[in-house]
Amino acid sequence: MMGGRLGENIGVGEETIEKACKVSMKAHSKPNYYIHDKNRVTFFAFPGSWSVNDWCSRKPFGEIKVDVSLFPSIKSIGNEEIGLVNQAFFTRFQHLLTRSSLSAEVEKAISDKKQIVFTGHSSGGPTAILATIWFFEKYTRHNYYNTPPFCLTFGSPLIGNHIFSHALRRENWARYFIHFIMKHDIVPRITLTPFTQIEQELQQVLEFLDPKSTHNLHGSSILSSFLFSVMRNALSVSSYAASYLKGNTNLLLETVASIVELSPYRPFGIFVFCTGRGKIVVLDNPDAVLQLMFFCLQFSPEEENSEFVHGMFREHLSYESELHESLNYMQDVTYLVNLVDVPLSAHSTSTYAAALNDLGLSTTARLCLRAAGELEKQKLENQKRIDSNKETIKEAITKIQEYKTSCEIRRIGYYDTFKIQKDQSDFNANIKRLELAGIWDEIVEMIKRYELPDGFEGRKEWIELGTLFRRLLEPLDIANYYRHLKNEDTGPYMVKARPKRYKFTQKWREHAEKMEVGFSSETTFWAEVEELRLKPYVQVKDKVSRLEERALTWINEGWLGKDVFLGESTFSKWWKTLPFEHRLGSCVAGFIST
Amino acid sequence: MEPETSQFESSETLAAYLASTPLLEESWRLCGVANAAAQQSFAVNRVGTAAYVAFSGVQVVDCSEESCRGLAELEGGAAKGVFSVFSGGRAEGDQEPFMVHGGLLRLFLNFYYTQNFQHKMLEIMNECKSVIFTGHSLGGALASLSALWLLSVIQTTSLSIEVLCITYGSPMLGNKSFSQAILQERWCGNFCHVVGPHDLVPRLLFAPPSPFVEHFHALFHFWQSSMASSSPNSIQLDSLLSDEVKAEIFGNILACVEDRFRRGENQERGSFWPFGSYMFCTENGAICLDNRMAIVKMLYLMLAKGSANACVEDHLKYENYVGRICWQYLQRKSLTNVCFSESSNEAGIALALHSSGISFQEPVLYGVGKDCIVMARQLGCRRNIYTAKMAVSLSKVTPLRAQIEWYKAFCDNSDDQLGYYDSFKRRTASRKGSKVYMNLTRLGKFWDEVIHMLETNQLAHDFHKLVKYVNASQSYKLLVEPLEIAEYYRTEIHKKKGHYIENGREKRFRVFDKWWRDRKIGDEEGNPRSKFAGLTQDSCFWARVEEARDCVYCVVSEVDQGRELVLVDKIEKFEAYARGLIERKEVSVDVLAKNSSYSLFREEWKEVKARLQLLPPRFPVAMVREKF
Repeated sequence: MMGGRLGENIGVGEETIEKACKVSMKAHSKPNYYIHDKNRVTFFAFPGSWSVNDWCSRKPFGEIKVDVSLFPSIKSIGNEEIGLVNQAFFTRFQHLLTRSSLSAEVEKAISDKKQIVFTGHSSGGPTAILATIWFFEKYTRHNYYNTPPFCLTFGSPLIGNHIFSHALRRENWARYFIHFIMKHDIVPRITLTPFTQIEQELQQVLEFLDPKSTHNLHGSSILSSFLFSVMRNALSVSSYAASYLKGNTNLLLETVASIVELSPYRPFGIFVFCTGRGKIVVLDNPDAVLQLMFFCLQFSPEEENSEFVHGMFREHLSYESELHESLNYMQDVTYLVNLVDVPLSAHSTSTYAAALNDLGLSTTARLCLRAAGELEKQKLENQKRIDSNKETIKEAITKIQEYKTSCEIRRIGYYDTFKIQKDQSDFNANIKRLELAGIWDEIVEMIKRYELPDGFEGRKEWIELGTLFRRLLEPLDIANYYRHLKNEDTGPYMVKARPKRYKFTQKWREHAEKMEVGFSSETTFWAEVEELRLKPYVQVKDKVSRLEERALTWINEGWLGKDVFLGESTFSKWWKTLPFEHRLGSCVAGFIST
Repeated sequence: MEPETSQFESSETLAAYLASTPLLEESWRLCGVANAAAQQSFAVNRVGTAAYVAFSGVQVVDCSEESCRGLAELEGGAAKGVFSVFSGGRAEGDQEPFMVHGGLLRLFLNFYYTQNFQHKMLEIMNECKSVIFTGHSLGGALASLSALWLLSVIQTTSLSIEVLCITYGSPMLGNKSFSQAILQERWCGNFCHVVGPHDLVPRLLFAPPSPFVEHFHALFHFWQSSMASSSPNSIQLDSLLSDEVKAEIFGNILACVEDRFRRGENQERGSFWPFGSYMFCTENGAICLDNRMAIVKMLYLMLAKGSANACVEDHLKYENYVGRICWQYLQRKSLTNVCFSESSNEAGIALALHSSGISFQEPVLYGVGKDCIVMARQLGCRRNIYTAKMAVSLSKVTPLRAQIEWYKAFCDNSDDQLGYYDSFKRRTASRKGSKVYMNLTRLGKFWDEVIHMLETNQLAHDFHKLVKYVNASQSYKLLVEPLEIAEYYRTEIHKKKGHYIENGREKRFRVFDKWWRDRKIGDEEGNPRSKFAGLTQDSCFWARVEEARDCVYCVVSEVDQGRELVLVDKIEKFEAYARGLIERKEVSVDVLAKNSSYSLFREEWKEVKARLQLLPPRFPVAMVREKF
């Protein structure tokens, strides 16, 4: 995004945007959705709802974990933090999916090789967003359809937590979600407020905002008290986030946050702010967008009158005319890419000066934008530093590989050699193991704190390196664990002690290869053996057979080395003690020399 | 090189966050109620799952006794056991004991021991998720002590309730050791002291009380009557204090605060210190600080811009500050009078100082203010950076530990059958031994540094609860402490200083004991061990062996029967304890090595016991000795 016409930069033509806006307003009078076909594009437009129950199902914020069977990607992979979504909107979408012909119509558009656009105005936006994610999960992720859909929303409320942004960026889907927001539109900010605080006014405000209604709130104090609540909570969310962006370390921050619950909802995707008079500001840094959610609402003392407030609410219904002007005539578009250098003073003459003034940003607001940019930059620098470890990791892995080979020559296998720890070479391998553990633990630590770019856990080179590392090193960690009998102090390795560096790298692979959870647990083979052999055969009969079957698959796939079957290995020795009938029927019998 | 710190000033951002929450308004509202309607008492209000407890600012502090006029020990007299965290804990080194204002402590205890207080607290602890203690003026000090009491309770029980204390214009409460203890317990974020720019009360205790006692009485009388009455200014201060006296008080306090600010951390004993976080409110906005020294500076800077009248009136103006504060942040301010640079750092500081009422047009004050907030921020930022670096440092020292493990395996398998402990204790000059000794020293240094940084608040607030460090410190302790003990007895320090556990144990091991005890324990499987543990689970086992052996030697030469019985009892207790450990296989194999100190102990004791048992019980020991 470096300047030029909006359409070229975000990948959707101006005509399509305008059309989407038009059909999403039209959809408000339809029961489920509205389909519009034009040239090579199929629009699915969803109506909004003006009933409070469709906005919030529970106090204070009504969020639930997303259904992972429907949205398997909406999570952080290593941390396994599942995304949170507004339950009311999610339920509405689920009903639509199961009780309407939506999926059939989508299939039809696919078979016609159409570009699909999901769109919605106001609370139609959430449905469009969820439908788009559903499409990505169902079709794009499995390569069933190679034209990614677009999601265009107009004045949509925020519906998902920070995991949405994290996951969509990791999957490279974020840029297909384009949200248009009038600078003062209150609706996108509503879900930042606990339902308890606006319960009284929300129904009336929704009726007022319904394009079909003639509900008049002129002269009523409802709008300004509603606005005050929303602004105040937008300030809470944004200042809490800004304290974090700016690196505030006062413990008061966390104490207050543990007492006063904050809205979980955060922006994701690309945001297009319409600042009036046909001008447009575009940005995609979710932290910066969150700051704008509050700071654009700030008003100067002379604006404190009911006429102005009324006008702010009316902006929710003016997308069509505003976009018509800005897309066709003005094309005065600013792309806020380099947030680190936004000018602080309103009198500046630099590139972004006019746009920032149009957004009405104070110096405080501009500092928050810079902080958001700085964090993004910091994450990239962290990634660079982590990337510079790659060679060291590869070298150490080679050393372990050599160790493994030298052990196999002696027909014992490196698991058992390491467990015995007799020679200098075992000791050296242990030191290498610890060095590698140090490097990987640091990576895991940074992922846990979200200090690396969102895409890190989806990077092919690291997933592959992680798998290589895990296959070679985890057996040594297990050997070390059982050598020191730590299982008796702390419990089984798998339950109590498996390091995060292996859990994370396994989950990376399983997610990337779209495997079931636990499908790539070949590296914990030894831990399972160690636990099983402590127990009487009759108790673990089924588990033994199951392990053997899985081991066979892993061996055939080349994920597990045949060294596990060497004559002197813990596994072979134990296996030979199993009852004759078992050994006779065992699927790995052929591998073990008798 | 200095670690890089954030270029963004955020003391005001945090204040804006606090201002946007309902906490200030709700707590202040209840303070007003308590001031007017609950004089010499407190008021409770529930909002959702949060309970607000406000102590009235109208209180009578009994200063008749000398001990109530200044600092008194927190853990003495009637307060014994109330603040369990402070009991037993000596302040480190040659520092003062934990002290708070005697009169305020006594006032709190008067509440604490009433049924009403106990009953209401119990109700809140059972029914609420969070509790906010609050109070205006003297009520603030009571709120602080209540919060401190509840935090102590939480730490020693499994109670889980969030505690926050918000005071308005509260006097200071304790000395430096007290402030330091709050820091080390990581409770700074549980105290938020809201302070008006010129309010005298939060600065009062910087000055010695002597010359103005009478006038202070008059001032408190004025403040309390104004708080208690619904109509402000119903009482004329002028009738109580002349303008000259007010000016004199103001001048005196200002001079004292300035003196404190100039002397920095080097203060006389018996000084009061701020603790927790401060929120400074002005007409322009607010900032939050948690650095002790920065707070003192800011208390001075703001007062310096005040006047004799302002410093008296400000104590009653919190309604004004709290009422406006949220609005201030909702409005877009056009700050044409603030000097801006395009540097994030400079602009952030200018904004924060503007909110503190300090203008760049006063270069001297501005300079001091700038230093003050920059210093506070840098200390805070380093905390995060150091925490991240610690993970890397830990992985760097892990190989040292591996070498010691390797050494242990070598000793345990060695032909001399001395075992790990005795091999190291009786080692002769060798490369192996000196290498292990070096690792020992380096590991000790590393962990001492960790503890030092944690105590000086340079690491993340929950650092000592992170599973990674709890586990690492535990395995360090189990592996290395036997060697430390060996070194202690090898170099015969015990002959000079006494036995290891009481006199020679490094502080770090006691700290790790506490981490391990306080860790979250999951559903541990209680399977019996099949083999001896990799490491003896009691890291002080060898010190106990040494003590027991010492007892055995003493028994032989003991003449007093009473003392002999004590020794025998001690030995037998240890014997039973050791047997239990061994039966449960909680010791490592080195304990059972043929020539280990433990094996020696058993032989020696067997011999002595046999000799003792030759004699009928209760036979005068003195005569026994003669027979030998």
